[in-house]
Amino acid sequence: VEAAVTAAPTIDIAAIERELRQLWQENAAEAGGQAVTRALTLNLVARAADSETAEVISALVQRLTASHPNRTVLAIVRPEAEAQLEAFVQANCLLTQPGLPQLCGEQITIDARGDAAALVASLVLPLLVPDLPVALWLPGPGAFDDALLPRLRGVIDRLIVDSRDSAAPARDLAAMVAFSAAPDVPGRRAPALSDLAWSGLTPWRELTAQFFDTRVLLPHLRRIDRVEIDVVPGAAPNPVPALLLAGWLASRLGWAPLEEAVSVEGAVLRLHLRRAAVGVGPSAIRLVTVEIRSAAARDGGAPGLAALRLLAVDGVRASFAVERADTPGFARTTAQVGDAPPVGRLARCEEPDTADLLAAELRLLSRDRTFEAALRAAGAFAARLP
Amino acid sequence: MDAPVQDNPLRSGLRIGRTPEPCTMVIFGATGDLTSRKLVPALYNLARERRLPGGFSVVGFARRDWDDAFFRQTLLDGVNANSRSGAAEAALWASFAQGISFHRGNFDDPAAYATLAERLAELDAERGVGGNRVFYLATPPESYHDIIRHLGEAGLNRSPAGGWTRIIVEKPFGRDLQSAKELNQELLAIFEEEQVYRIDHYLGKETVQNLLVFRFSNGIFEPIWNRSYVDHVQITVAESIGVEDRGGYYDRSGALRDMIQNHLTQLLTLTAMEPPVAYDADAVRDEKVKVLRAIRPIAPEEVAQFTARGQYGPGSVSGRPIGGYGGERGVEPGSQTETFVALKLFIESWRWAGVPFYLRSGKAMPRRVSEIAIQFKTVPTMLFADTPMNDIEANVLAIKIQPDEGITLKFGSKVPGQSQIRPVTMDFRYGTSFGVASPEAYERLLLDCMLGDGTLFTRRDEVEASWSLITPIHQGWAAGPAQPFPNYEAGSWGPASADELLARDGRAWRRL
Repeated sequence: VEAAVTAAPTIDIAAIERELRQLWQENAAEAGGQAVTRALTLNLVARAADSETAEVISALVQRLTASHPNRTVLAIVRPEAEAQLEAFVQANCLLTQPGLPQLCGEQITIDARGDAAALVASLVLPLLVPDLPVALWLPGPGAFDDALLPRLRGVIDRLIVDSRDSAAPARDLAAMVAFSAAPDVPGRRAPALSDLAWSGLTPWRELTAQFFDTRVLLPHLRRIDRVEIDVVPGAAPNPVPALLLAGWLASRLGWAPLEEAVSVEGAVLRLHLRRAAVGVGPSAIRLVTVEIRSAAARDGGAPGLAALRLLAVDGVRASFAVERADTPGFARTTAQVGDAPPVGRLARCEEPDTADLLAAELRLLSRDRTFEAALRAAGAFAARLP
Repeated sequence: MDAPVQDNPLRSGLRIGRTPEPCTMVIFGATGDLTSRKLVPALYNLARERRLPGGFSVVGFARRDWDDAFFRQTLLDGVNANSRSGAAEAALWASFAQGISFHRGNFDDPAAYATLAERLAELDAERGVGGNRVFYLATPPESYHDIIRHLGEAGLNRSPAGGWTRIIVEKPFGRDLQSAKELNQELLAIFEEEQVYRIDHYLGKETVQNLLVFRFSNGIFEPIWNRSYVDHVQITVAESIGVEDRGGYYDRSGALRDMIQNHLTQLLTLTAMEPPVAYDADAVRDEKVKVLRAIRPIAPEEVAQFTARGQYGPGSVSGRPIGGYGGERGVEPGSQTETFVALKLFIESWRWAGVPFYLRSGKAMPRRVSEIAIQFKTVPTMLFADTPMNDIEANVLAIKIQPDEGITLKFGSKVPGQSQIRPVTMDFRYGTSFGVASPEAYERLLLDCMLGDGTLFTRRDEVEASWSLITPIHQGWAAGPAQPFPNYEAGSWGPASADELLARDGRAWRRL
């Protein structure tokens, strides 16, 4: 990956566009007759609070060019600094295989300090490429308090946050629920919400769902009584991913929280739910317990989810487990029903980095209803946290 | 019996499709090239992408005296050399290889099938496979008959315990209409049509599938996709290599059987078909068969008018010298086998009446390229007085299948500052809009078979309909005079007769 960068301070929108045009011409000339392809699929607006974050975001955006060639508008917003406004343009070019055309996205960085911080939204709007989706990415904590959000809410198609960064999980989950509950208005869909914490659960959800693609195992899914979620705590423990995972199971399987839905015992968080009992009559219920526990990190293992086990104990015993394997980046899946031998395999369960998670969320074109239902359930759990 | 699990509530919102049920894939001819070069790398990549369930097993069935360990090592070498994801990851391979075993047997030995049945029953119990089986015929076609018959005799054509059994048949599917019909009869005496998956790997290619998406998910192309706007269609599948070490096989086959009957016919039907009522196996294949039935057959006495054929002589491709076909190993002296063929076909339907479809395919061409080009009619009158009428080129929509997948639209544009009109192209290339690597054709097809989706496989009537177009051409060629082969130089675009085929209509092949 090689990036071509030219810089020219300016705040004149027409000048920025001119700079970009020139950049393309220069790139085409440098490519020595090889076609340079501008294939934009979306506008990505990102906000950084400092230069270090901006550099991290720039690097991520360059990696994103491969799967989502885009125009990125990166706003470095520093209201506390001395007033100053600058803008830079750059092309993010990927050198693909020799002989193939060079693929470039484009990036405009706006550095707004002091009073100029209030102007950022008005600079972003005219810089968006028309008729392409707009995603707003607000990394770090406090996304919902960001001044950019209300100004841009009317034009964005997707808001991307990361609740793993959350400093106040219950409050942030509530804000996310409220955001995603906004109804569509005629002629315009309400913006979708993406949480990179949820996106990071995808391999876990896939590996869990796959057990029940098999006809003989599917009936056991309605019989689950107990769920164990093991989490290796990080430096700042955050229950959100585990709550989202529990919320996903509860919303998909129709488990309703009991009156006293949450209890804490030492490092164990228990969620108490009920489900319809199977084969006993329409009104019979059974209890389901979801236990979120701390686990020790394996050698070289990263913090995060370590295991998800679904157990049916009533009648025929059945267990379905996805557990991190000793080999980093892999999980072992095991299904066992009654006395039959356990059936398992090793499967990739990588810890995706932020660029991968962003790419996965940007692939979605509409609202993720499964996520929204899981989010509502997780929000309800979080609201009951002591 | 094959009802898929549609009601798994945890599937909702997941971005990859459902996983097939655990099954055992029995590969006949497992020591062959196809297994280690294509099939097992495809299966490994499916496992790597989490598309295969726990319990998935492979049994290699072949004559050689191999054991499990040697078989596994051979397959691992094959994956390391041929997988699109690079060398196998050790931990993942170890888990995948646990399900691989070798079963030694002769294809004509009933006892080998009895022991195979026992082995499969063991796997059902040990690995939770539930009686689900795929039999893959990766042998030379001469062995199909024995394998199909013995599978039936051993009762392996039906699964125990509510599982499913499917059989994948590799090409070539017959060598003429008669033999294709016989093979179908043999298969369908033992298996139901729903169990039979006739593979044409071209249909597993992403761009080929995208042809349907392109046509039926865009509102702007379908209204002009007919005889009112389309002048003609050119379909080219060119290979830059010669027959290499396949001379013996190829000399009995030829380009018409090897490429046109299957791959180019598939491209033709997908280009010309009407919108299906649904995207499912029968609806799509019904429409493809309708196209085949609407093609006016080329009668044996018409071959000079509608076909051109050639055989390459010595030459060079991309600076690499290539010997003539006649000198390749396994080729009969004085062989009349064609390594190049061009056809002019008409589809007698309301949509396509009068629009010629020109097909060409050859070996030892200047470059490897596959594309479908829709050439539109030119404008009726010339508006711009300073430009001579014949300077206006027709619009062409080219769908490139390989090597550089994409779609190109050619249109006329004014040259800045001059009163001249020049053709320019608007390019969409997969590689530049989707950075994700496309899966190999075999990955998609193996997965589809395990999921019970036959959409991208060839149905009985389809294969017979395509042979019924091809066989009369062979008959016409055989009845005519011997050809002055070789008649094109390796590294050229085929014989002069191919150019004449279009020149007679006032047209020319696209320069590719």
